[in-house]
Parts: sequence; C-alpha cells; structure tokens
Amino acid sequence: MLRTGNTTPATPWMLMEGQPSRGAVHATRFESIGLKVPERRRTTRELLSMTRHHTDIDLERLTGIHEARVCSSGEDSLTLAVGAARDCLARSRYAAGDLDMVLSTSITRYAGGSCPGGAGERAAEGSSGAAYRFQFEPPLSLSIKDAIGADRAVSFDVANACAGMLTGVFILNDLVRRGAIRRGMVVSGEFISNLSTNALRSVRNIFSKELASLTLGDAGAAVIVDRAEDGPGITLAGFTTISEHSRLCLGGPAPHSPGARMLTKGREIHRAAIQDAPFLLDNALGGAGLRLRDIDWLIPHQTSSRAIRKLAERLGDQGPKHVVVNLENFGNTSSTSHFVALHRYLSEGRFQRGDKVLLLALASGLEIGVVLLVMDELMETHGHTH
Amino acid sequence: MGTRIEAVSTARPRWLLRRRALRLEEAAARACLERGRRKPQDVDLLINVGIYKENNTVEPALASLIQEDIGANPGEPHVNGHGTFSFDVGNGGAGALSAAYLVDSFVSAGTARVGLVVAGDADPNPRTSRGFPFLPAGAAMLLGHTDDDEGFDRFEFRTFPALSHRFEACVQWEPEHQRNALHVREDPSLSDACVDCAAQATTDFLDAAGLHAEDVDVLVTSQYPSGFAERLARATGVPANRVPAVERELQRAHTAGPIAALESSVESGSFARARNVLFVAAAPGLTVAVALYKRPSGHC
Repeated sequence: MLRTGNTTPATPWMLMEGQPSRGAVHATRFESIGLKVPERRRTTRELLSMTRHHTDIDLERLTGIHEARVCSSGEDSLTLAVGAARDCLARSRYAAGDLDMVLSTSITRYAGGSCPGGAGERAAEGSSGAAYRFQFEPPLSLSIKDAIGADRAVSFDVANACAGMLTGVFILNDLVRRGAIRRGMVVSGEFISNLSTNALRSVRNIFSKELASLTLGDAGAAVIVDRAEDGPGITLAGFTTISEHSRLCLGGPAPHSPGARMLTKGREIHRAAIQDAPFLLDNALGGAGLRLRDIDWLIPHQTSSRAIRKLAERLGDQGPKHVVVNLENFGNTSSTSHFVALHRYLSEGRFQRGDKVLLLALASGLEIGVVLLVMDELMETHGHTH
Repeated sequence: MGTRIEAVSTARPRWLLRRRALRLEEAAARACLERGRRKPQDVDLLINVGIYKENNTVEPALASLIQEDIGANPGEPHVNGHGTFSFDVGNGGAGALSAAYLVDSFVSAGTARVGLVVAGDADPNPRTSRGFPFLPAGAAMLLGHTDDDEGFDRFEFRTFPALSHRFEACVQWEPEHQRNALHVREDPSLSDACVDCAAQATTDFLDAAGLHAEDVDVLVTSQYPSGFAERLARATGVPANRVPAVERELQRAHTAGPIAALESSVESGSFARARNVLFVAAAPGLTVAVALYKRPSGHC
C-alpha cells in the first residue's frame, strides 16, 4: 500500500519545477486547450473482426474502449495538429502571431503531400486512405507554425513517447516562469491508428506484443501556456525517466507493411509504472506540502481502464477524489490523451474553480511526469464559469 | 552566473562501434562525462538531438536508451536520491543549440544543475535508404551551472519556412519493394540558401549584441552542408582563421556537427583563448540558430 503521509525527502527524485527557485519569477497556466479528432469512428468489435488469426480476446471489457477515432483520406498527424492548434487559438485571447514558441510533440509525424521521390507525388496510402509519409526533416513543428501563421515563434520537435505533450508543457512552463518567453503552444497530432491495422496480422491472444496497438486512436491536441497574472495556474511540474525499463516498448516503421509497428511488453511496463508512480507522486507532491488526497482530479495517461483501475487501487483510500477514465469513445490517443480528457471534462463542465487537477504521464522510457494545475479561467474558454 | 560548457566529445565509427547511432552517442556521452570529471549519476537532464538511428525507431525517446546505457540513474526511484530526465529534441543541425538553449533555461531557473546534450546519426539501413548524405558520428556536450561569468549569453532562432522544401527526409512505403525506407532529397540550392539565411541572421545577431565580426574569436558551426563554416565566415566578415578545422571524418556529420567543431576548437586551444565564441547552425526547414558564448578575458 502506498505511503501517503508527510514523508517529504530532502531531494525530489524528479526534476521539479514549482518550488521557489532562483530563476523563476512568473506564475504560469494553461490559457486554452484545443482539440481535433477525425470524424470516422471504428469500434473495438469492428477492429477485432479483422484479425488474421482467430481470437477470443474481449478487448472492450479489458480496456474499456468501445470505439476510437481514425483518420480518413487527407488526414494525418499534420492535419490533426494544425486543426487542434487552430481550435486552441479560437478559444484563446492570443493570435498565432503572438506565440513565442511552438513545440510539436507527437510520436507520429505523418505528413502527406509530395515526396522526395518526385514532384507532386502523393505518399502511399493505406486501406483507410490516409497517407503514410513519416517526416523526419524538416521538423513537423515548422510545418505547423507555418500553417497557423505563428511567424515569430521559435519552433522545434520534442519526442518523448506518450509523455510528449506533458514534456512540452514542462519545457514551456520553465521558459515562461523564467520570463524567457511570454507564451507558447504545445501541439501534437497523432495518426497512430495505423499501428492497430498492422497489429491485426499478428495478434493471437492477450500475450501478443502488439496487443496494446489495438487500443490506439487518432487525435490532435494543443495547449497554450502563458503567464498567470492573478491565479495559481500550474503549481507543480516534474519529470523523471526510469530508463532501466527503456526497452519494454519499442516503436518504428513496420517491416512489411505501410505505417508503423509497436512491440510492447505490456505486463512488465504496467507493473513498473504502477510500482514506481505512487512513490513518485508522493515524493513530488510532498515537496510542495501536498498529499494525494488533496487532489480533486487525477488524469493519468489513458491506456486501459483496467490499468487505471489498478493504479487507483494502489493509491488506496488516501488517493485523489476522482480518477479520470476517458477511453470509451477515444481509446488511447497516445501523447494527446491527457488533453483529450481535459478538453472533454472542460466541455462538460465537470470542474469547479479552484479544483486541483493532476496530469500524470506514464510513457515508454519509462517516463513518469506530473503537472498540477489549479482550475481557473480555463473553464471559461469552454463556456463554463463555475 | 550561467551555464558553462564543461566538456565536449565526439565518436566516430570504429570496428567495435560499427555504425550504429546509439553506440556512437553512447560512446561520445561516456567520453564527455569522463572529460568533464562527472559521474553519470550527476546528470539531471539528458537530451538527445540525433535523428537518424537504427530501424528509424520513434518510441521511446532515444535519450532514455542512452540514459540506461551510460548508467545515469536508470534504476528505481528512492528517498534522498535524484533521477535523470531524458527526452529527444528534433531540429536537425540546429538541434544541439536548441538543446543547449533548454539546458541553459533549466539551469538558470535552478531546476537542473547538470545537463548532457547528445547528438549522433547513422544511416538507419544503408541497404534500403536513398540519398542519405551524412557520415556516421556521435557527439556530446556537458553543460553545468557556474557562478563565474562564463557561459551562454544569448540565443536566437530564425526560420525561413518558404525554403522548407530544400531538404526533405521521410520514411515512406515502397509498394514495389513491400518495405518502408528512408528517402532523403536535397535541393542543389540548399547550400546557398543556408549560407544566405545564416549570414543574415548572424549579422543581425551581432548587431543586437553590439559586436562586430572581428570580435568573434571562434566561429562554431554546423558541418552540413559542406563548406558551410568557411562560406559563412566569408559572408559575415568573420576572419577565416576563427573557424576551427574539423577532421575530415566529421565534416559530413549532421546533428553532431556543431559539437565536432567545438571539440576541434577546444583541442586547438582557440576556445581557451577566446572571449566571444559564436555558434551558428543551419538546419532543414530552414532554421538558423545563433548563440553567443562568453568567456572572461580568454581564461584557460
């Protein structure tokens, strides 16, 4: 069982932002959040009906995923990211030209258009019609900032598996707190459902290394981080990498089919995450004089309802008031999952002003990170004031 | 008080290292820590900026693999210890300066004390890649907090999106071969575009810093496209002898390029004698990164 007492160590294990430090002069916040999801839906039942081998896996029961959004022709990582960035700007007081920095943080970097093979040639398309052209250079952030007109912004790509967006928040939080920049956008477009399509060839049972790929769904999300002039905003951010687990989940281009493939030792990575996350949460919050039970909403990375339930059990009775599960209609949307959940809860008016919302990154690496925000004017950007 | 360069190192393919990006980066990181008299456990932040690696792996961040391989706090978190945070930054030849900017920010804020920037690339699959122009190389740069006057003084990043098509690299499906392969295309005008954009950005940067071209004691640049450093020096009026001579094997390094030039400057002694070290890196996109590193009166 998790220790939830005041066991504040002298040194936090995570690299922490939030405690008083010599260079930080400003408070920070999430100013607006944007979302873009494809229209097309694919149910878990439909997906499993396409496996090459006969399976008896009740994936919907195991994961809580009824359906996921998947890209159609003309959609890819870039279009989702640009769509989310535009939605974010539409809810923001800022124009694209006001942004000082744009960080693209997706795992997938599919961007259609012409290929090096020849002028105007389209990238090869999969069965969904979506293009399979994975861009390494130029950075995708440059294409995004160009598309939205963020002409002034410094841009580069950040990659950190499913912790990508929260890593981007960690970076912007540091730069804004220090006054190096006034505001920036973290954006991610994940066209990652093609891994599900590829996994259909190999999955036989729940021990398959590609089983986790069947939980994936596509989404784009964006967040603007700026100075909080009169509110607590982001009160804590911390990250660490427990790299002895770095080889438990490996993803890259598929060897014999368009798109990508991910091989995951699912049980081991979940075991490691559930073992280490409680201590790190306790350790990080303790440094700020908080306990887990002070948290109103915990939004962990959305992998499966079963894994989230196990984490909640491990946190015990002294855990947060609510643990968010947002898998039923979106699946695991990779680096965007926290913001898909946050966007939905904001749109549904679930939060109260002053609520403490803790975003918990659990990602390949093994990356574990936290961002704690106190709910403020962000609610108003989604039409809710209380 | 600032962020000081504590050590740099490069790695080229030897027999044992072969041509794997991960091995090259690991070797460079280990050597860099040794030169800086730091233990792997001292590293708070590890940023990989290499792009081209074995199997074009995109998950997890390569930085986490390097962290494990060099032994930088890879194990279970525990009370009264501290961990290492690793992630990747992608910005081509400007990646090392982008990462230095981030480390400088984290160090300035007091969030971290020691950061390790690791760079390196190798052809992911020479059998199937098309047009891969870079030679395999790894590099590392150790940065740490200092109370002295030495350190990074200012950074600037400028982009020219209209020129983004001058260099493209992507993995795409080849239906005829039933495989995914890396395709790289470089426009013949890339080199001119890089020099023109970098010269413009450098001149503006020096003006803003109140410096003249002659005040630049060392000009550290990316190594790609070929001849970039010498052409940039000519275009900006920086004397040619301020450009470090980089070993031939490293002249076509990609993300490791700027660190290779820096290592050459350190080894020749010009870095130790310098007061103003100017970093200029050009990257596909087109992005130009410029940074000024100041040293107090050229102390060794």
